[in-house]
Amino acid sequence: MIDTLVVDLSRWQFAATALYHFLFVPLTLGISFMIAAMETVYVTTGKTIYRDMTQFWGKLFLINFALGVATGLTMEFEFGTNWSFYSSFVGDIFGAPLAIEGLMAFFMESTFIGMMIFGWKRLSKGQHLLVTYLVAIGSNLSALWILVANGFMQDPQGAAFNPVTMRMELTDFGALIFSHDAQAKFVHTSIAGYVTAAVFVAGVSAWYMLRNRHLEIARRSFRMAALFGVLSTAGVITLGDALGFVGAHAQPTKLAAMEAMWQTEEAPAPFNIVAWPSQNEQRNVWSIQVPYVLTPLLTHTLTKVVPGVDQLEASAVERIKNGIPAVEALKALSKNPNDAAAMAQFRAHEKDLGYGFLVTRYAPDQDVSKATEADIARAAKDTIPQVSAIFWTFRIMVGLGLLMLAYFVYAAMLTISGKLEAPQNRWFLKLAPWMIPVPFIACEMGWLVAEIGRQPWTVFGVLPTWMSASSHSVGYMIFSLVGFVSLYSIFIAVEMYLMVKAIKQGPEEHGTPSTPASHKPQPSFGGGFAPNPAAPMSAHKE
Amino acid sequence: MKNFLYFVLFMVIALVAIVIGVIIGDYASWYFAWIVGTAMIVLVSAASGAFFDAQEEDRRNGGTHQGRH
Repeated sequence: MIDTLVVDLSRWQFAATALYHFLFVPLTLGISFMIAAMETVYVTTGKTIYRDMTQFWGKLFLINFALGVATGLTMEFEFGTNWSFYSSFVGDIFGAPLAIEGLMAFFMESTFIGMMIFGWKRLSKGQHLLVTYLVAIGSNLSALWILVANGFMQDPQGAAFNPVTMRMELTDFGALIFSHDAQAKFVHTSIAGYVTAAVFVAGVSAWYMLRNRHLEIARRSFRMAALFGVLSTAGVITLGDALGFVGAHAQPTKLAAMEAMWQTEEAPAPFNIVAWPSQNEQRNVWSIQVPYVLTPLLTHTLTKVVPGVDQLEASAVERIKNGIPAVEALKALSKNPNDAAAMAQFRAHEKDLGYGFLVTRYAPDQDVSKATEADIARAAKDTIPQVSAIFWTFRIMVGLGLLMLAYFVYAAMLTISGKLEAPQNRWFLKLAPWMIPVPFIACEMGWLVAEIGRQPWTVFGVLPTWMSASSHSVGYMIFSLVGFVSLYSIFIAVEMYLMVKAIKQGPEEHGTPSTPASHKPQPSFGGGFAPNPAAPMSAHKE
Repeated sequence: MKNFLYFVLFMVIALVAIVIGVIIGDYASWYFAWIVGTAMIVLVSAASGAFFDAQEEDRRNGGTHQGRH
């Protein structure tokens, strides 16, 4: 059996690289569509200022994209190096979307990004706009394939285990890409990226406004970001609810952990606003509850019972007992694939094969036929993920989501009413740059909820995590973990340096009214507008 | 003739879009929601850019108008 420390270190390494990589991804997903929106205004109105905006935000997009690709590359190799049994077990299914993602990322996105950056003088306005949209669509489709692969890990659809080859095999590609979990996860994640981009653009624009720099671009960018952000945040919250609803069917243990629901209660169950869950005692040491809210929130009904940890653990015991004959049959089939009795036994119990694997680590000599009731109970307890971690990361994500909704609603009200730069609202401009980390934290929290909540499985209900890792030495794992963390920290530092440098440098302005040296910040813009007689509106036209 | 061909082309695009919408709506409701939602977010954001300029121009004219009186 693989050393549990190696498994833990493999998990830490993947989690670290994924968390680093996921700092770059959401901004890429969202800002590409924001740039497309800016260029749409340029093409439809012909105002040069929108081209300057497109080019400036495009430069920041490019920096982020390049480092996102660099950090993402190694992750795909990690599946083979650190999770070799997993790769062998589900490679037929997992490999297909990853291969398509690779093709899309490197051929579609990279080609169109090159055309977007270098094509301004070579392509017509319409052609360039099309290229910009293709970059945005390509970036998001790239994420789609990754999330289809992840969706399979959360809710394995469209595949079956072949006891002869001892691998999972793809049976229905349509079921894989149209699985509810893959779909709900993709839309929630990509729109979280839109929110991230909107907060970023609004924050940088506010920073310019506070310093009275690049005002014409900053005001327009802020307005577009505010409206983009209102709709995106409303979307991400709605689709998050949809993801929770879908996830409740696929992974009830994750849902019970998210809500720290240890006991099954009569519907409508109370909702824990905050709680202090104790994993060992399987109860909340304290909690603040709102009665009747949980059931309608999760099931969209008042009567459907939400299973708690107690019920799910009891159900896991039954499934482990049912899975043990499947594991025994598999052992017989590995010696003789033509053993008809073993095949019949396997077919009768195959739906619980993964649960049978769970008890292997506790059974004497890893022989499931020798597993005792106590071994089965320990394995069943493993099916409940770390409740505290999931409960709190979920609440931080939701809380930050609601904060961003309030932020964008207020930002949109201020910018539409023209009061954004009024002295009494200067606090809001000061707040905006500080909001930039918020969506990044929310995205990371969301990823932690999804991944910690799936434990103890790499493929939910099919393949336990402890079986999936490669048999490296502890020393090798520590060395590579430190190496990755160091390298990725350098990537983050490079990203920050290049971003800050580009933002300080500011956009190149052509035909944009420049701010004269004497034009100091206005005490009041009389409704958010600073008249600049030197720059008539016609100056924006090409 | 050119206009007629444009009309036919756009009708074909609309028809294909409707068929895709029906199919995707049936089999992939969240993907469909993403397509519609993203299009709406981008267009509202773009419209807000154009609206900003119209609003600004209006205020400029309003300011000049008030100054004359």
